[in-house]
Amino acid sequence: MEFFQNLVTTFNFILQGVWVTIGVTAVALAVGLVFGVTMAMARVYGNPFLQTVAAIYSVIVRAVPVVVIIFILFFVIARFVNLSPFWAGSLALGFASGAYQSEIFRGAFRAVPPGQMIAARAIGMSKLQAIQSIILPQAARLALPAWGNEATLVLKDSTLVFVVGVPEILRRAQQVSARTLEPFLAFSVAMLLYLVLTLLTTQILQWFERRYRLQM
Amino acid sequence: MKKQIRMWMLLIAALLALSACTAVQPTGQQPGAASAEGSGKLAQIKAAGKIVVGTSADYPPYESIDADGNFVGFDMDLIRAIGERLGVEVEIVDMPFDSLIAAVQEGKIDAVIAAMQATAERDEKVDFTIPYRMTKDAFAAAQDSTLVMEKPEDAAGHSIGVQTGTVQERWVQDNLVATGLTPADLVFSYERADQAALDVANGRIELLLMDAEPAMELAKQTGLKILLITESTAEGGKSIAIPEGADDLKAELDRIIQEMLDDGTIQKIQEAHGLP
Repeated sequence: MEFFQNLVTTFNFILQGVWVTIGVTAVALAVGLVFGVTMAMARVYGNPFLQTVAAIYSVIVRAVPVVVIIFILFFVIARFVNLSPFWAGSLALGFASGAYQSEIFRGAFRAVPPGQMIAARAIGMSKLQAIQSIILPQAARLALPAWGNEATLVLKDSTLVFVVGVPEILRRAQQVSARTLEPFLAFSVAMLLYLVLTLLTTQILQWFERRYRLQM
Repeated sequence: MKKQIRMWMLLIAALLALSACTAVQPTGQQPGAASAEGSGKLAQIKAAGKIVVGTSADYPPYESIDADGNFVGFDMDLIRAIGERLGVEVEIVDMPFDSLIAAVQEGKIDAVIAAMQATAERDEKVDFTIPYRMTKDAFAAAQDSTLVMEKPEDAAGHSIGVQTGTVQERWVQDNLVATGLTPADLVFSYERADQAALDVANGRIELLLMDAEPAMELAKQTGLKILLITESTAEGGKSIAIPEGADDLKAELDRIIQEMLDDGTIQKIQEAHGLP
């Protein structure tokens, strides 16, 4: 009986971190999407200068552990701009995810036959118009499976924002395990919640994949 | 021409996006920027009407979070009492222990209370108040031990276990072995304190010397009894960390802590949390 009481209290306490985790993940994915698509466009269709900028971003950010980026954003940049831990953590995570997403979209852009770009240009579209109305709709569909994988990775990387004091699922599990001295129970609950969140994410993305599948 | 303009716009957009996270936008209020100057930190806190204190809420009975999400523990009650005497509200922020010093350095928080000792390395980065609680050590023995201890030196001549590299080990070496009170082969150094506790419980050694609070916890688990709790073998105490150079804040906190030590407030809070 006591075990169930502990379980319920532990569960309720950690559950409050779920919204924080979802918030961090959503912001990071959105920011990463903007960075990723922009950088992939620059990489594939930009002039040599833009290509270099995008390549440097991708290489450097992917070489640096996400937790370091979070630290830099929260402790160094925040000297000038007062970012809350939540925003510093989410933006840093998004900035990092953008590099991985740029690789996903670069592959997707390259997978669209180059003849389509040439044809679009030949009928008088500008590069941006062609990307917007011809390339991107196809590339987005091609990118979706890999992007779904990245989404689950970002969901799990959201645990890293606890280093700047964001009380997401993992930090709450630590707090409760310190109090109750039952780490197994606390981290099992955390594991369960991550499992549910990950399954939910993959289900939603699979629905998107089906919904927007190209009818060949 | 038009194409080039587009490309430039794209470039600028990309650069903006890149620098969004690194852009320096000086704002009117900079609660963080003041940490370097230090002077007037106390005035700032009073003007804000609150002091932001960082802790790592995973170390009961000093600091933890109860089931309702409130910060509880000895440090928490103490800092609230200090806030009362300062005449400001106390806002507590939870962070991993390793992030606390950086956070106070960068002015993210005004102070740290986290059962933290003022070590030399930390002292280079931040300032510390006077200790609000001295570290205490405990001598533990097996439940059936007939030993009686009134002072640390009563351990002389008995086999004793300590943790490698700790201040307790140094105390035993300096005060028992070097003075000839205990032969060197009666001192046993362990990798971990709980291993030493098991050997005491099994009767392989007679005594164990370690930090008092974990000792009490270990004693409960392994069925040892605490013979003596003492300050004289330990070094230093737990202090509040504040930004470097915040001299006015340090002076005021030192004064309040001294006052609370003298009038028994701290003693009372310690007892309320079962601390020796």
